[in-house]
Amino acid sequence: MSHTRRMVEELRRRLGEDAPMCQVQAPLEPIEPPPSRVIPRGAIRDERFAREAAQHTTALVGVGRVGSRYATEVVLQFQAELAVAHAAVAAELSEDWAESAGLPLLRSRVGHHREFLLRPDLGRRLDAQAVAWLEANARRDVDVQPILADGLSAVACMGSGPELMGHFIAQCEALGLRVGTPVLAKYARVWLQDEIGELCRAKVACILLGERPGLGTGDGLSAYMVYEPRVGRNDGERNMISNIHARGMLPADAAQRLARLAQGMIQQRTSGVELDLSAIPGLGGVGGTALREPQVRKRLVEVP
Amino acid sequence: MSRILEPIYPKVLSVRRLPGASPALLRAYGADPDKHTSLGLITCDQDDPTYVALDEATKHADVDVVFAKSFYAGAAHASGPISGEILGVLASGSPDEIEEGLRALLRCLEHDACFYTASECGGIAVFPHVIGSLGRYLSAQAGLQPGDPMAYLVAPPMEHTIALDAALKAAQVEARLILTPPSETNFAAAFLSGTLHDCEAAAAAYAQAVIEVGREPLR
Repeated sequence: MSHTRRMVEELRRRLGEDAPMCQVQAPLEPIEPPPSRVIPRGAIRDERFAREAAQHTTALVGVGRVGSRYATEVVLQFQAELAVAHAAVAAELSEDWAESAGLPLLRSRVGHHREFLLRPDLGRRLDAQAVAWLEANARRDVDVQPILADGLSAVACMGSGPELMGHFIAQCEALGLRVGTPVLAKYARVWLQDEIGELCRAKVACILLGERPGLGTGDGLSAYMVYEPRVGRNDGERNMISNIHARGMLPADAAQRLARLAQGMIQQRTSGVELDLSAIPGLGGVGGTALREPQVRKRLVEVP
Repeated sequence: MSRILEPIYPKVLSVRRLPGASPALLRAYGADPDKHTSLGLITCDQDDPTYVALDEATKHADVDVVFAKSFYAGAAHASGPISGEILGVLASGSPDEIEEGLRALLRCLEHDACFYTASECGGIAVFPHVIGSLGRYLSAQAGLQPGDPMAYLVAPPMEHTIALDAALKAAQVEARLILTPPSETNFAAAFLSGTLHDCEAAAAAYAQAVIEVGREPLR
């Protein structure tokens, strides 16, 4: 009720008017008050395409609008998801975890987490200790060098990293490839695979690392592979698979594809844009190419 | 029989949109063609509730009140059936903002801002309106900040003059603007500022005094 209406009713009582204020029907069409629980309305929501597209992605499509703005609910959801992403970026790979995973921990030239975020160049090179460890302990002249790394999401690395690594090694061995000593890299960028692979004299280096978190998804892993890893390889010489997580490609499927990709690289003696993917049998078929199951956005906030 | 302090609901007579108004028209009505492209226009048979409702719109959408003028001698002497006694114009860079602004405006006219009867025969009307939180339009008019409370008081000339004095003495309020009669519609108005509580007390005293003057005009 408006301040004025309340004040006038109070004044009526004071002046001895007992009857309630006459509720004259307003001559206007009734206007619905803003709903407390916002169901975004508007053209976008009403379109069949947007509605169906929204079923197949967790991306922000078909969220509707209120006026020219997002609904409060959408904004809150966005902020919650962004917080998840920030937390994933801020998380660090712990020494304890490396020990429990049973993997030797190699460090890049990065000194601390903030430097890791600000200096990608340092995250692409190994520190002296790591180089010495690899020279002393790693298997040489292997077909595939598997590397697990934190990348931009240590959460993802510590989550499904070991599972993906395990599947990948098993799949490579099943294809008869010689697999190098599995290692874990901290403060690692993708290109760190070049130096590790070069030191191990691997034909193919494969780094599995946490990918830059998206909204509400801090658990995604990406895999990058390069043939004849050498420091200075560029991204055109790499192949990669992204979105390896429960809602995207499952680790088991990804491992199968990666192993076949590695085999294909060794057969064709190249990787990246020059690699003829059509000549690698079974690559496209793994996991199927059909539409994914309808996806449901995980709700992080509820607006009452 | 009509009783005192019954709401006299404003009647919205026309609501139109101009999503891409011509620059010359925009300029003529006080809009800035560099910033504004769309207009929302309204006419209503009560001018002061519409000023309040236009201000309300600025709180809900990115709209500016670029034009709002009362018509001479009020709705009873209007130039046409949909002229009423005011033309208000909202301007924005987006038709969607205009749409949201108009929604807020119409909601305010339906549920909040209206004149009240101040005499048993219904001949005297008073607008003792309390705004809890000003928008960008009226705050600028009154020299206050958006979000400040304000009492917006309107009555016919004699009633207004006596009642305004009562209102100013009834609470800790400050006169921001006193429009002596006659306004375009031959009323008189005042804006008072203070705390919300004081604004309510002043408006109540004002409404009460308007009623009393009407009862005893020759005392």
